[in-house]
Amino acid sequence: MVTKVVDLRSDTVTKPSEPMRAAMAAADVDDDVLGADPTAQRFEAEMARIMGKEAALFVPSGTMANLVSVLVHCDARGSEVILGDNSHIHIYENGGIATIGGVHPKTVTNNPDGTMDIDRIVAAIRHKEGSLYYPTTRLICLENTHANCGGKCLSVEYTDKVGEVAKSHGLKLHIDGARIFNASVALGVPVDRLVRAADSVSVCLSKGLGAPVGSVIVGSKAFIDKAKILRKTLGGGMRQVGILCAAAYVGVRDTVGKLADDHRKAKVLADGLKKIKQFTVDLTSVETNMVFFDIADPRITPDKLCQVLEQRNVLAMPASSKSVRLVIHYQISDSDVQHALTCIEKAVEEILSGSAKFDHLTNGSTANSYGH
Amino acid sequence: MVTNVVDLRSDTVTKPSEAMRAAMAVADVDDDVLGSDPTAHRFETEMARMMGKEAALFVPSGTMANLVSVLVHCDTRGSEVILGDNSHMHIYENGGMSTIGGVHPRTVRNNPDGTMDIDKIVAAIRHPNGALCYPTTRLICLENTQGNCGGKCLSVEYTDKVGEVAKTHGLKLHIDGARIFNASVALGVPVDRLVRTADSVSVCLSKGLGAPVGSVIVGSKAFIEKAKILRKTLGGGMRQVGVLCAAAHVGVRDTVGKLADDHRRAKVLADGLKKIKQLTVDLTSVETNMVYFDITDPLISPGKLCQLLEQRNVLAMAVSSKSVRLVTHYQISDSDVQHALTCIEEAVEEILSGNAKSEHLTNGVAANSYGN
Repeated sequence: MVTKVVDLRSDTVTKPSEPMRAAMAAADVDDDVLGADPTAQRFEAEMARIMGKEAALFVPSGTMANLVSVLVHCDARGSEVILGDNSHIHIYENGGIATIGGVHPKTVTNNPDGTMDIDRIVAAIRHKEGSLYYPTTRLICLENTHANCGGKCLSVEYTDKVGEVAKSHGLKLHIDGARIFNASVALGVPVDRLVRAADSVSVCLSKGLGAPVGSVIVGSKAFIDKAKILRKTLGGGMRQVGILCAAAYVGVRDTVGKLADDHRKAKVLADGLKKIKQFTVDLTSVETNMVFFDIADPRITPDKLCQVLEQRNVLAMPASSKSVRLVIHYQISDSDVQHALTCIEKAVEEILSGSAKFDHLTNGSTANSYGH
Repeated sequence: MVTNVVDLRSDTVTKPSEAMRAAMAVADVDDDVLGSDPTAHRFETEMARMMGKEAALFVPSGTMANLVSVLVHCDTRGSEVILGDNSHMHIYENGGMSTIGGVHPRTVRNNPDGTMDIDKIVAAIRHPNGALCYPTTRLICLENTQGNCGGKCLSVEYTDKVGEVAKTHGLKLHIDGARIFNASVALGVPVDRLVRTADSVSVCLSKGLGAPVGSVIVGSKAFIEKAKILRKTLGGGMRQVGVLCAAAHVGVRDTVGKLADDHRRAKVLADGLKKIKQLTVDLTSVETNMVYFDITDPLISPGKLCQLLEQRNVLAMAVSSKSVRLVTHYQISDSDVQHALTCIEEAVEEILSGNAKSEHLTNGVAANSYGN
């Protein structure tokens, strides 16, 4: 009997479904670099349509989607981009926009709700009169949902306001929309309306939507034409990539409708965690599929807790020296949620009673508790 | 009845076989960024073993494989790399090592046989005495088989000599081995022996070996660990990538043994082309799976010829104002070769008789005649 692992480390762990595997096996493909892979082309056209933009481009990862977007918007040397100090692009993408792209970041504080204050964004825009010393601000980046802030949704009103700021200052707006569908579902706002103010959006297929690989960038035709070249330059030009697009297509078709359930399960999880007195959980901060909880008891560390949970085949991710993150996805069932809660209760007891056995971290889960 | 298209534009056009599609559909996968995908792990281990190196890393493309390799070897600002003036890396990779990686190229002339003269390589190495004005040479790159020179093989003796030069001068050696298996088969030298002197090698799975996507980089454990981070930074970190590795594994298992037949067919093609008096072919220069021929009759241009061939469902690549390239692969049969020759003869007649209808290039063959 195979023991089931309840993997709550991230929604990136989703494995391809049977329809995805069938679609991959049957995909009509061609050399996407030499011409166009028909399946990739169909998928990109559909994603552009869904997102309300002119064109789309499939890339191997969200990191590449963001890197390409920033670099295309900031193609002149001496560019600066405004983004959140707790954003994925700034914290978890190896500083690539700078180390690879030569673009300078200007961070603005991310509020707990994922936003940056509008007046602080405006204050961060470089004044042209200082151009002898200043880089030139070209781009503002938002992240929706905002992961490090807890999977928080940026409202369409806020997004539109930032879009207006960008326009009035001659800047572009890019949205890191890795989990934009989660935001759309939680807010009840159609995804194309949600990102209307943005010049470009990156959207992940390999997270909650369940595809094995990939993201798309959406934007204007001119933007995507440039993005295609930069994608090639970075090494993201794949040949018979329709294989991956076929699976991604199934993800968009089949799984967007399941995201609301993920959000519901996250709330059930949070409710259950609140009952454990060694933890604190802010129930109002569970907006989508992520649950962060703090450990109030100093005898329990996130690492220790995650190790003991792993022994019970429940995987979680330490998020800081005193907090743990759990992420729901459609391959986590209601009974998995109950099982996880039971295991967490038992793990807490075990640690407090002194009977827990800690090995050297073998699965590297704490080493990997970064940016997923 | 579906008309068979005989696609001789490149070996990148190979579509996944039934065995590959089956392997992709059942591949055992996991999040390769969070831990490791078991299928990717198995495949990378196997590739390292085959190439005689410590470790391997799967990447989306040959461009990324080369870019990562150069950037890892040249991680210090102010680096210079010596490579062929007609190499794929210098001509067809968007100058990425410079525009993305900040590395300076120093080209040395490629001889028609694909080599660079050893004394010219040595002369290109920057003298440390000039360090106030010079960048620092850190790396030499070879390409085997050499694409632009006609799919030419670099011998193991030559490769070893360049390796000695590198070692003597404290430099690294990287081999762009996109088609290294073609070289190994044509030379009758085991692939690990052929690249023994190299610090790193990039190997394509998506060309003659037939996989839909990807390349691998092989090298020392320390090198591959750094390569992994740079791969992530560029955006090449893919999640359930075992789907692609499963297909690549089948390619290596099933198709290396068919490369000799590709070479044989290339020679048959060349022999047939030689009989057409408006064309010239150097039979001795057909070493692997590429055939270049020149058009001596000024009435016939490569663009026109390829257009007419396309009307006959034969695809070829115009590579200069007077030459055309054909590439064989295992999805080109003996009768496809005969059919292509017949079509070429007919196309030549049609142009000369003034009957040819030239339309606007629809398939973008000439626009895409770059670096594939």
